[in-house]
Amino acid sequence: MDEVVLENVDKAFGKVKALDRVSIKVVRGELFTILGPSGCGKTTTLRVIAGFEIPDSGRVYIDGVDVTFKKPYERSTAMVFQNYALWPHMSVFDNISYGLKLRGYSEAEIKRRVGWALELLDLKGLEKRYPLQLSGGQQQRVALARALVVEPKVLLLDEPLSNLDARLRLRVREEIVSLQKKLGITTIYVTHDQEEAMSISDRIAVMDRGRVVQVGTPWEVYNKPVNYFVATFMGRSNTLNGIVLERVSEELYEVDVKGLKLYGVAPGGGGLDRGLNVAVVIRPESLRRAGEDEKVNIIEGFVRRVSLLGYTLQVRVDLGNGASVTAYLPPKESVEAGERVRLYASPEEVKLYPAGEVEEEMQA
Amino acid sequence: MARNSIGALLRRFFFLIDAPLALLLAFTITMFVLILVIPLLTVFLGPSVKVSLEVLEGFRRYPYLAWPPLGEWVVVSDRGDYKLVIVRLKDLGVIPNTLIVASTVTLLTTIVGVFMASIVARYDFPGRGLFRALAVIPLLYTPFVNAFVLYKVFGDGGILGQAMLSLGLGYSLELTHLAGVIVAQTLMFWPIVYLNTLASILQVDPSLEEQAENMGARGLRLFTSVTLPLSLPGVLAGSGLVFLFSMEDLAAPLAFKVNNVVPIRIVSSIIGARDIELLSVEVAILAGALLLVALTWLMVIRTYLSLRHYAMIVRGGRWQPRVFKPSPLMYALIYLVAAPLLLISISPQVGVLTYAFSKSWLGVLPSGFTLDNFQYIFRDDMVVRALRNSVMYSAIALAFIVIMGVASAYFVNRVRVVGVSLLDFLVMSPLVIPGLSIAMGLLLLYSSGPLKGTLIDPFSNPMILIILAYAIRKSPFTTRAVYAGLQQVHQALEEAGMNLGASRTRVLLGIVVPLIGLNVLAGALISFVYCMTEVSVSVVLGALKPDQAPITYVIFDYLTAGYGGGAYVHVAAAIVALILFVQIVAIFTTNYILKYRYAFLGL
Ligand SMILES: Nc1ncnc2c1ncn2[C@@H]1O[C@H](COP(=O)(O)OP(=O)(O)O)[C@@H](O)[C@H]1O
Ligand SMILES: [Mg+2]
Repeated sequence: MDEVVLENVDKAFGKVKALDRVSIKVVRGELFTILGPSGCGKTTTLRVIAGFEIPDSGRVYIDGVDVTFKKPYERSTAMVFQNYALWPHMSVFDNISYGLKLRGYSEAEIKRRVGWALELLDLKGLEKRYPLQLSGGQQQRVALARALVVEPKVLLLDEPLSNLDARLRLRVREEIVSLQKKLGITTIYVTHDQEEAMSISDRIAVMDRGRVVQVGTPWEVYNKPVNYFVATFMGRSNTLNGIVLERVSEELYEVDVKGLKLYGVAPGGGGLDRGLNVAVVIRPESLRRAGEDEKVNIIEGFVRRVSLLGYTLQVRVDLGNGASVTAYLPPKESVEAGERVRLYASPEEVKLYPAGEVEEEMQA
Repeated sequence: MARNSIGALLRRFFFLIDAPLALLLAFTITMFVLILVIPLLTVFLGPSVKVSLEVLEGFRRYPYLAWPPLGEWVVVSDRGDYKLVIVRLKDLGVIPNTLIVASTVTLLTTIVGVFMASIVARYDFPGRGLFRALAVIPLLYTPFVNAFVLYKVFGDGGILGQAMLSLGLGYSLELTHLAGVIVAQTLMFWPIVYLNTLASILQVDPSLEEQAENMGARGLRLFTSVTLPLSLPGVLAGSGLVFLFSMEDLAAPLAFKVNNVVPIRIVSSIIGARDIELLSVEVAILAGALLLVALTWLMVIRTYLSLRHYAMIVRGGRWQPRVFKPSPLMYALIYLVAAPLLLISISPQVGVLTYAFSKSWLGVLPSGFTLDNFQYIFRDDMVVRALRNSVMYSAIALAFIVIMGVASAYFVNRVRVVGVSLLDFLVMSPLVIPGLSIAMGLLLLYSSGPLKGTLIDPFSNPMILIILAYAIRKSPFTTRAVYAGLQQVHQALEEAGMNLGASRTRVLLGIVVPLIGLNVLAGALISFVYCMTEVSVSVVLGALKPDQAPITYVIFDYLTAGYGGGAYVHVAAAIVALILFVQIVAIFTTNYILKYRYAFLGL
């Protein structure tokens, strides 16, 4: 069952096209993340769902009802703002109970529900404090409590961790996920941090310049990026310039990277013509030392620099044809600068995208 | 495309606001239309039905035009043991006189104001703090009496001339007639340019100056090539206001006995008329001309600055301002030119108190300290009634002002729909529209046609229109204070409320107003003070029915109608001293509340 649906939503601010035919379907109870670089339209998408912006065209449905032109207060969404937006002149209790009072609950019922929220978010004892007397983490939990206490259909979180320090971030992230699972509330979570998105989401929508470019599980988005933008935005990657030599099979292409022959796949769908310039994208962790008997997809070169990052050994390799790649090898591997290494990437890990996409990205 | 259609616009409008807010807005706009827009249109169109070639021909004759000019530029008379030099300027007729005075005053105030602002903004000298504090004193309202004090200083038998004689100079100087008006208005109005310029200079990012300095500009060069151009909006805003204020100033011409200027013409003809039919077409046209100049200026501002600029005055500077040690020449300028000028400029306020607390003031020094003047005003029924009227009118007007100010500031700041800038323009426009034109418009509109003889006809009931005019004229002060407050309230605080189920009106009343309550209060206080000291509408409409007249009319009456100044100056000064006291309390309170110096522009 789809809880939130956006259909071809367009939104422009003057000349800036903030949303360009955005369509998403968020399933009831899932944690759905909108991921993309700053300015790609994530906040605007949330604001359209919450009803703070009215789309230029397109439709918004919540729980099957067309809410495109409904006011924010008629939608039953609850948003946690990036800066929390706690009312400085109201105590924690007053902040949290605000929505309940509007709904006309009895005094006792309000007390009970606020108590529940305080308990849930570990805020007991702080109800008389004012927002300015709270730490960042506490403020955030108050904002969450305020949103959750009204039992919204949809919880909207706009970069909820961005105002926390690095140490707190990890903890709060876990808290949000476990809370979401516990309550089973449909949640749309906005972030620009791909690692954060990967770790918490049921599904991710990747946005680029106002468009949704891919929707899928973290696994799909990471392993089958549909275009160059997604491929390079998710995690680190090496990009090499190549030319398509031939289509070996339905899936497989052979490309030439300045003399180096590689087999790779085109996850973007649609065929790649022979002679087409392509971006060859290989993740550092897809590269490993080649075995003696492996003969294809071998990338060979001199080690320029080695840095041990702890969980991985980062190796920079010059290919001799002007290009270089970075590989993540197991930390126990012994590699030294100046040494010659043979690396291997399986053809499924070598991804090919038309070079046109790259140029488009560069211009943006 | 669909989003450009009327339907989409309306849908968007009602998406952005809800019914109560729409009502508040409709109320505000209706008020402005009824009390400002239509009356002003009447000033333009009303007299046109009576205009004839003969009337227009009249503008080429005395008193509107005097050619050749009458009187003398300067008179030197030999008084035996000394020579008396009287500077007076020739009378060129009502229209040229007004334009010449306004232009000259604008020029002089701009020079003085920019000079003073530069000194305060850029030089660190002993007494700078005192200098800054004193420079706002001339902006304290002392209706009419300020000019009478300046007449006492510069005019016939004035302190200046007597001081020169007692120094044994052999010369004595008097500034009278138009020359006196020019000097008086310059001294009264330069702080407007000063404050606006200073605000602008303090807002110039110091790094811009540092960059220029880095490239080799310094001293005066730096100031004139970078700082001043960047501060030009402030200078322009200030001088523009001065031009308008000068054109409608009644006080200085009254004190210096100049009849041939536009404002005096308008007021004396209205006071003479007992029926709207008797009002001469010529003065109605004059009021229209006054308005035309103001509107032209308004257009200039709208193109080159924004009215908002008026609203965003002195914030005390966000940056660490760059200050320098003055050179010896600069020291001389500061202490020998600027300081004496400043002292003369605060003489009206000092003089008001002197008059108020003395029995007589004929020579250089007053004589006989007394509280009688205050006792007198509280025994005079007319004064007591007028004071009561003023407080009541201002209080009622204030209720309107707060509603309109909150509604329009909220709308302009928060609701982004087409037409918002027009609304902004409309609600801020009373800052620059001459009160006399409004008064004339109200008079023409509401005392004739179907409204003649009704409750609202100012000839039978000026009270209602006085209150409504106060509300419109003085609302921008509250609107801009509310607006400034709203800028401090993050929009997300409201959205969080709407998101939880509160309507826009509910959010406005439950979240926004509590957060900006102090701003509303501060703005309201300023508006209240300005209602109490309003002159143009009070005098024009108050004259129609003295028992409904506010206090400023009574001051005017004391200083003119046959009493001929004299002892009555002391009584008028006592009333003004009371008003001065109210102002000082209000200003200290607002400064305390808003934590920054609030510019009070609308002299
Ligand atoms: N109220 C607005 N007025 C004008 N432009 C806006 C407004 N809100 C967003 N934008 C523009 O729309 C684009 C998308 O903004 P936003 O949704 O905030 O991006 P994100 O949250 O992904 O960083 C940006 O280019 C931004 O500058
Ligand atoms: Mg954002």
